[in-house]
Amino acid sequence: MKKVFLLCGLIFFHLVASFSQERFRKSPPFPEPLQPLQLPAIESVRLGNGLTVAVAYQKNLPFISLELLVLAGESSSPESSPGLATFTAGMLSRGTQLISALEMEERIESIGGSFSATTSLDYSRFSFFFLDENLDQALELLSLMLLQPAFADKEIVNLKRTEYYDILQKQRDPDYVSKRQLLRILFKSHPYQKSLYNEDVIKNISKDDILTFFGKYYRPNNSVLVLAGNLNLPTASRKVSHYLNMWQKKELDRPLPPPPGPNNIERVCFVDLPQAKDATLVIGNVIFPLADPDFFPFSVLNQVLGGTLNSRLLMNLRESKEYAYFAFSEIELFRSCGVYFVTAKVTPSVCFASVQEILKELERMAKEKVSTSELEQAKSYLIGNFPLQLHRLDDLARRISEIVAFSLGEEHWNKFYENIMLVDFGKVFEVAEKYLLPKPVVIIVGDKNSLFDHLRDFEKLEIYDAKGVYRYALTKGVEK
Amino acid sequence: MSKNILVVWSFVLLVLLGFSALPDEEAGFPFPLTQYQLKNGLKVIISEDYSLPLVSVVLAYHVGSIYEQPGKTGLAYLLENMMFMGSLNIGPMQHISYINRIGGEPNASTTEDITYFYETVPSNQLALVLWLESDRMKSLEINAAKAEKAKQTLLDEIGQRKAGEPYFESSQAFDRLLYPEFAYSHPILGGEEDIRNLTAEDVKNFYTSYYIPNNSVLSIVGNVNLTKTKELVEKYFETIPQGKEVPLFLPPKPLEKKQVVQVFQESLAPAPAFHLGYRIAPPYSPDYYSLVILDYILLKERSSRLYKRLIKKESLAFYLSGGIEKRKDVAAFKIFAMNNNDAMVDICQKAIFSEINKLKTNYVSAAELQKAKNMFKKDYVNRFSTPLEKALFLAETSFSPVSLENAPQELGKYLRVTPFEIIGNINRYFTAENSILLNVKIR
Repeated sequence: MKKVFLLCGLIFFHLVASFSQERFRKSPPFPEPLQPLQLPAIESVRLGNGLTVAVAYQKNLPFISLELLVLAGESSSPESSPGLATFTAGMLSRGTQLISALEMEERIESIGGSFSATTSLDYSRFSFFFLDENLDQALELLSLMLLQPAFADKEIVNLKRTEYYDILQKQRDPDYVSKRQLLRILFKSHPYQKSLYNEDVIKNISKDDILTFFGKYYRPNNSVLVLAGNLNLPTASRKVSHYLNMWQKKELDRPLPPPPGPNNIERVCFVDLPQAKDATLVIGNVIFPLADPDFFPFSVLNQVLGGTLNSRLLMNLRESKEYAYFAFSEIELFRSCGVYFVTAKVTPSVCFASVQEILKELERMAKEKVSTSELEQAKSYLIGNFPLQLHRLDDLARRISEIVAFSLGEEHWNKFYENIMLVDFGKVFEVAEKYLLPKPVVIIVGDKNSLFDHLRDFEKLEIYDAKGVYRYALTKGVEK
Repeated sequence: MSKNILVVWSFVLLVLLGFSALPDEEAGFPFPLTQYQLKNGLKVIISEDYSLPLVSVVLAYHVGSIYEQPGKTGLAYLLENMMFMGSLNIGPMQHISYINRIGGEPNASTTEDITYFYETVPSNQLALVLWLESDRMKSLEINAAKAEKAKQTLLDEIGQRKAGEPYFESSQAFDRLLYPEFAYSHPILGGEEDIRNLTAEDVKNFYTSYYIPNNSVLSIVGNVNLTKTKELVEKYFETIPQGKEVPLFLPPKPLEKKQVVQVFQESLAPAPAFHLGYRIAPPYSPDYYSLVILDYILLKERSSRLYKRLIKKESLAFYLSGGIEKRKDVAAFKIFAMNNNDAMVDICQKAIFSEINKLKTNYVSAAELQKAKNMFKKDYVNRFSTPLEKALFLAETSFSPVSLENAPQELGKYLRVTPFEIIGNINRYFTAENSILLNVKIR
């Protein structure tokens, strides 16, 4: 009885407290009207040697963010030398014929700069961030790298060691291993497959390979240079032209490989990664390429499915079923095709059930229309988050470099808000049917010893080792 | 301006001078801002930045691990987590959900001295953020069940850090040697035994002592209208009652000068390693500025003297990190290196001492000094590159001895450092009697 009185008392005090507080504290305020997005204009010019130079004017900071995209990614590596595009890009800042690698590093830092190289499937990107008072010195350094690279034997050995250990290190990461396995299956006979190499290919790369690759692809007419900061196009193009006019163009063929077809058969693959604590799941399939108008409705779909903490996947697998530590979905788009994938980390005992739930959520997207609140929330997220992806100078320059290099145009820039706002139920449903109905590939990564007992419910299971080499298949848990 | 707001002082920095009036070296800051105080003591800083339709809000409480008492460590970090577990009008984890739905990004962090809560959202959603932040400042719900859940989360995090960071325990042991006073030496995460013994009452006491308007700064930077923003701040924060005066924090005692050399057996260490530290001048004292530039010459960046010699040229270490660390009123210069074997540890330490000795006896060249200053300037000005970073900078500076009024002169102090100051201060602070060395052996 005492407890009842106590409870009534508590409720009474709570009610008094909530009635006595200001009314506006009880519920969230309504937002003001959305402010228009006015992004800096992207101005570009093509220099005499074919180099495209683009500028985005940003006045507030004493920095320049320079992005050079050379349109030679891992898909351009020869069949015999996977990894060559990444390796060549990594060598660019490692010394010229007159300046050692150490001295180059010293000169970059002397101008308050940082320089990095990354290679994706379609291009190699060089990001150079420096104090704007040093634009001339930065362009001079860039021209030395492009016009007089040394590719010294000593530096090749150093980079081979670094790359080798980097790949070994990454191969201990279940997220890396699972995604690599998914892409290996989806890109089976496509040029993108070359990006998914193991550490052993590094030792085969020779100086001649690098010189040939560099000579073929590192050409101004195969590159885009973007400068973001306090400068205008006439100044930028004059200075770039001054330092890079000796960079000679050469005609080259850059065919667009046809996209791989989507997977449409049931495939469940297990990668044995000893000592992995949990089960890492990656489930995905091939979708549309960069610049495809399906990007906008599919982005909305992705938000509803697994883009945020409020999305269906996390609500189901983590909040409702308590299977997963996390469950999200993402999209990655390339020149030839794109990929959607769901990632989740789950406890081994619920591995099978988690895969079934993810597949159900994918099917539900393709069979039922999303609700009004889901649609509006997803659009509100994408519109609200878009400027956040551009608020750093280097992010801005990076985005512009892709827009220019792949001719994405205003649709992905000043018309982004509009394009998202125009997405309706019908368009989301249409892309869901188109891309989510084909059966996705399921990858499970974990330690065989702790996970195997929980995989017997899968009808058929392909078993791979940590390097992704196929070993054998199981049918209902029995080796065939 | 509303009558309800007691404007203690309000002014516009910067533009007061105009960029053109500033030497080039100080460009980037100041930027326009307005600063005032509500009658409950909350300091408010507003800076308009129209580059994108975004606004960042930072609510910073002047409290961190150094304000914890012996036996009650971990409270500051625990409370940071509990601030997401619901207040009178906002359910558990709803704070993140509200921000996430509109495409915003919420976060929080605890340092030794300050606890920050921050969000970047579309600028039309400023009111939502102020509603959320004011609710948890006014009426956080703290009960035994929530405290237990937060304690378990914190203990799990410590467990994961111990298992995943092989030098976790030796780092903590090193801090105890480097900072002899309890306030500065204990980790932000707290001690496991202390955390287990914390009660909901402890959390409540900490909350009511420090999470109060008169111990806080609200910093708003973005595409906002000044008048409207002031009205919103008034609406959501003015009626939150002022708290009691915050407990007195005693300044550190002068340190005894004595060299310490010890060995630590680390069970998870994959390789022998060592922590080397020097106690240096307090943050923002006259000597401090040249020591920061010295950090860039000696250790920061890939072309620094130690990185070049130990990693690139002589391969004496395969991992090197460190630099100046400041904990409110005290600062130290830390070096951590991992080596292939015990013999290499010894050679590596000798190489470090030899590099320090070179700096003690030879002036740094003008080119090397300029390189260090350029790298410093890049890092310093980069703190104004987004609305969020500006808002964090403004909140931190308003709590620091520098103060916002003097902030525009700060960059110049670093950029005017001379080779004479560097040679003087490396001789003054990088001495054997100021040093702590902890050799980490594989158990």
